[in-house]
Amino acid sequence: MGMASANSGGSEGMELCIFDLRRGQQEGQELDKILFFFPADLPFSTQLSVIGLSEGLITFTRIFSPEAACEVIEAERHSHVFYEAEPDIWMVMVVEKSKEAEAIWRVEALREVLKEIHSLFMMFYGPVREMLEKDPSGGQIRAHLYPFFMDYLSDFLVGKKIQLPSFRDCLKECGTVQMLTVGREAAIEVQSLVRVLESGAGATHCYSLILFQDLLVSTTLSPDDTINLFAYAVQRLSPRALSPGVSSWSYLRRGSTPSHVAVGPTFATVSVSDQFHQLHATSPSQDNSYHVKRPLQHNRWSKGKDGFLVTDIWGTETGSLIPSTPTIWLQQTGERMYLCAYQYKSLTLILLVPLSSILNGEQGVSLVKQQVLENASLKILKVEEKLSKGWGGENAYHVSGYRYLLIDDDRNVSRASPPAKVTTLAKESLLAMSKLREEVDLEKSRSKWDNADRDKDLEICIRAKNNAWVIARTTRGKELYMVLERANETLLYASDAFERFSDR
Amino acid sequence: MSAKASSSQLSVSSSGSGGLSHVYIQHPPLRCNAPGTRGLFYDDGNKLLISPTSDQVFSWKAVPFDPHVAPTSDSISEGPILSIRYSLDAKIIAIQRSSLEIHFFHRETGQNFCHKCKPESDSILGFFWTDCPLCDFVLVKTSGLDFLACDAESKSLTVVETRKLNVSWYVYTHESRLVLLASGMQCKTFNGFQLSSAGIVRLPKFEMVMAKSEANSKPVLADEDVYIATMYGRIYCLQIDRVAMLLHSYRFYRDAVVQQGSLPIYSNKVAVSVVDNVLLIHQVGAKVVILYDIFADSRSPISAPLPLLFRGFPRSNTSSSRSTAKDIEIPEANISDSEAIIYGDDWTFLVPDLICDVSNKLLWKIHLDLEAISASSSEAPSMLEFLQRRKLEASKAKQLCLAITRNVILERRPVSTVAKAIDILLVSYSLSLKTGSYLKGIKTEKTSHSAGTQIGIPQSGASASTGEVDAHGTSTKHQSSAIVDNESLNRSGNSSTSDSEDNTQFNSLKANPKVNKEKLSGGAESSSSEVHPSSLQSQNLGPSNSPLNASVSERQESQLMSPAISTDEMYSLLFAPVEEEIVGDPSYLVAIIVEFLRSASSEKIKVQPNIYVLTIQLLARNERYAELSLFIINKILEPSKEVAMQLLELGRQNSQIRKLGLDMLRQLSLHHDYVLLLVQDGYYLEALRYARKHKVVTVRPSLFLEAAVSSNDSQLLAAVLRFFSDFTPGFKNTTDCHGYCRILKEMNSDVAV
Repeated sequence: MGMASANSGGSEGMELCIFDLRRGQQEGQELDKILFFFPADLPFSTQLSVIGLSEGLITFTRIFSPEAACEVIEAERHSHVFYEAEPDIWMVMVVEKSKEAEAIWRVEALREVLKEIHSLFMMFYGPVREMLEKDPSGGQIRAHLYPFFMDYLSDFLVGKKIQLPSFRDCLKECGTVQMLTVGREAAIEVQSLVRVLESGAGATHCYSLILFQDLLVSTTLSPDDTINLFAYAVQRLSPRALSPGVSSWSYLRRGSTPSHVAVGPTFATVSVSDQFHQLHATSPSQDNSYHVKRPLQHNRWSKGKDGFLVTDIWGTETGSLIPSTPTIWLQQTGERMYLCAYQYKSLTLILLVPLSSILNGEQGVSLVKQQVLENASLKILKVEEKLSKGWGGENAYHVSGYRYLLIDDDRNVSRASPPAKVTTLAKESLLAMSKLREEVDLEKSRSKWDNADRDKDLEICIRAKNNAWVIARTTRGKELYMVLERANETLLYASDAFERFSDR
Repeated sequence: MSAKASSSQLSVSSSGSGGLSHVYIQHPPLRCNAPGTRGLFYDDGNKLLISPTSDQVFSWKAVPFDPHVAPTSDSISEGPILSIRYSLDAKIIAIQRSSLEIHFFHRETGQNFCHKCKPESDSILGFFWTDCPLCDFVLVKTSGLDFLACDAESKSLTVVETRKLNVSWYVYTHESRLVLLASGMQCKTFNGFQLSSAGIVRLPKFEMVMAKSEANSKPVLADEDVYIATMYGRIYCLQIDRVAMLLHSYRFYRDAVVQQGSLPIYSNKVAVSVVDNVLLIHQVGAKVVILYDIFADSRSPISAPLPLLFRGFPRSNTSSSRSTAKDIEIPEANISDSEAIIYGDDWTFLVPDLICDVSNKLLWKIHLDLEAISASSSEAPSMLEFLQRRKLEASKAKQLCLAITRNVILERRPVSTVAKAIDILLVSYSLSLKTGSYLKGIKTEKTSHSAGTQIGIPQSGASASTGEVDAHGTSTKHQSSAIVDNESLNRSGNSSTSDSEDNTQFNSLKANPKVNKEKLSGGAESSSSEVHPSSLQSQNLGPSNSPLNASVSERQESQLMSPAISTDEMYSLLFAPVEEEIVGDPSYLVAIIVEFLRSASSEKIKVQPNIYVLTIQLLARNERYAELSLFIINKILEPSKEVAMQLLELGRQNSQIRKLGLDMLRQLSLHHDYVLLLVQDGYYLEALRYARKHKVVTVRPSLFLEAAVSSNDSQLLAAVLRFFSDFTPGFKNTTDCHGYCRILKEMNSDVAV
């Protein structure tokens, strides 16, 4: 795994901030713009200078491109990655370009991180703008953003450093969903289960998401909501997430166990983890008057006796000891939903029930759960059995001789060689691939502006320094990246091997 | 329950065809009038109702049941007649003259001969003809069985084999080929033989259960208390226990007789019929009938006890078959009051589904009113199971099944209920495909005879026995061995009533078309209505025409041998109409189609693309595109050209769906369409590459060239031109080539300018 550039010179190599261009426009009130800044212990003057630079660039670039302003600044020692999360609400990530070779970023991958963190935030709390409108002082949003972002970033914590997706992660795609390939019969069983789940709750317009291991089996949510909930489920609800260390395998990033964050006295002296550590007590913007739930906190979910997953993150209902059921906010419909997760062996079912359809709170939710168990438990057993039978194990999607990443942009689905196999690649190959992907990203964003409704066909083959073939191909919404290290022959050979793979 | 029964009996006697019922007899009956007849006999081997006079024998074919069938007559010599049966090839008539003598008449040659027993040893209890390979004729005597064979010229009988047994009385049905011999003090010890085409099988000796009323009294079992019933190709024996008021059932296996449980009875006089494999227990005293479907394990009746109904009286021209009583005017009905009495004293129940009204010389056939039965139950799955097992009125059963399922969906019952219902239909369809009854349509009666009478193998599972069921179920008309009560038969026909009966017959014929109309509007199949008017006509032409006519109607009905519903019909008769009718969220219907697909895939039934197309439309209507692509990618909706085209059609709104359609075309190797669509989407070079790789020669070069020109991209045009000049032999000499080369030059010169 690559080491992100946490250097001892400054406090760390990464800065992350969120600011609202509509706030603090008067002189002397600039601080009002800042909704979140990491690291928080940076002097305000430094914070303001980062934000000031960003704001200036945004304002300047908007003159030429009002729709999409600044995307990235490449300075000599830093890269600034911009993401406009909501209108006038910007997220900027500043990463240091270290002399260490490991600190080589792909800007698009970093932007995906920003996108994911914002999407997840929205999933739990709704849009930032909405919260700002509710509480114009900004206290509420700051109180929410800070712990949420810190919890999120703790996932990237390796040892004492934050490790962002680097070139080593070039055969992974954040913001996509990994799917389980199932046979027709199993797929029908799954769909049958989905219908029972959604109708069994008795309420209208329920949604569901089914995972097997860390892979998506079925969803009835919109693509965006699916990505968010999938990401959350894999990180916090999947069997692996519930019992870290049992299986180290995952397509997602971060094989590390970030559970140290809350516990770790060993990190108390280190500045980065210091910040995480402080979170509980006196974080700078934490205001005790706001009751803040921290859905990304680690190790707060566990499996209940009835198979449903429970957490105390959402507190307990007044006057009882029963933990409240989590709720999430759907991007597509803007509706708030109860989140009921059920787990049986490797199968995780997530049922979303509209808040509006359940009148009597927790009591109603437990009734729904009961109904689900009554109607669906047999089917759940059956589906689990069918899926486990067809499950090829961790390396099911490994294709020997190839290291690949396949992305379906239309469906936001990706599939890749297992991480363990990717690590066998030489550094040169990975660097070449990262570079290549950067090229393709550029080409993609260009063609997006040129011709919105036609996907560009593209095929690039590169011979890396270590004689590996690095190939990228995009055809009508699908992207395929591939590294062939042992294909030491001609380009023709490589392209043949590529054809063979594409035909699969 | 008896109180309930008697109250409903009241309504019956006054209402005729009015009341609620599940079983009915259809007017007109078969009238067995011949001058000077001396009683009625039923020969179940040939399914003939026989009425002898002093020197003649009249016989009516009871199966297929046709009320207007003309009798055939044979002359015989005079003498007492205790029993009479035709040989199975219908060449010889055997008449039991006394307890010692049987007289044989050759129908063609008129020759006759006698077979006599030794007077001191035993007496004849009865006889029957058999198609067992060993012998032709079986004589049941108090001392056992004689198996006899006819010689080549059919002039005498020789004993092939004898079985020595004490016999008090016996029961035989040709349908089961089973003879049960009662012996012992209480006549409850039984020996059984099956004379099947495979040979003679001796069943293990067994005892029947009889409750004692008091300590010392030992009731004696009478022959009228024991019935052999054949249902779903399985042979059962039903025994009335008058003391316990139970009907015990036994099932016969090749090497075992297993008691199967008991059914309650509510009347001192009980009779048993089997109609279309449904067991009818007539509680004669209470004048109600209870229906059981012995296929399933459950011993609960299908429906509440209800009276037997007369149906099809003249002038009952109301639209509904279950009309109110007021519409029937009995006085003008031309039916004598004596005929209208249900469960009269002279009714004899002939196995399996006939009733002989001995005093009026009428033969009724019992029918099930599937419509009424299905209306009486709200439990859709079990009712569907019941209806799917009906073969006699397969078309009606099928309509009802569709109606039930349609209603269940329209009522938005829980998906699990609907899933169960659909599962039942598909399992039944898959079974009918395996046994071939769905595709074959018409089956000859011959095959069903041999297949239907095998004694089951012990513990034969559902699959084994249902195989028999199907074959057996197709023999729509059953046979019976019941010998019509001799005593009453000897009373000669009452000549005073015969005039009025003739009159009745005439009038009833006129009324016939009306009855048919009524049937039609009641939702019955239309094919039968075409037949009946001609039957009226044939009556006017003369009686000789009617047998032919009967066979026509038989064939028309038998075209549908099974109520199974194919997946195609499921679409056109169930999903498509429901889709039009159902209101609100289509996701309910999607859920049901998913269940349908699940059942179909577990039964390995092929599903027609039209259902897939419908599913796509439903999902698209809700804009559930993500789910739709999941359905396509996981091949829940199997690829086909129809599906691909539907996806492309929807692709106008959603490019992702369009891509799925394109990919499907490619997977299906529909190269031509695929290439055309690529061109249409502007992927010219990709299309060309693909066309070359898969050798698609059907797409004209001009198509690509025109497209390239219209794109106004000279590079593209050059590339396309180059492609064709390189890979299409002779292209360089075509007008296309020259024309487009010129255009290209012009384009380039424009650029240059």
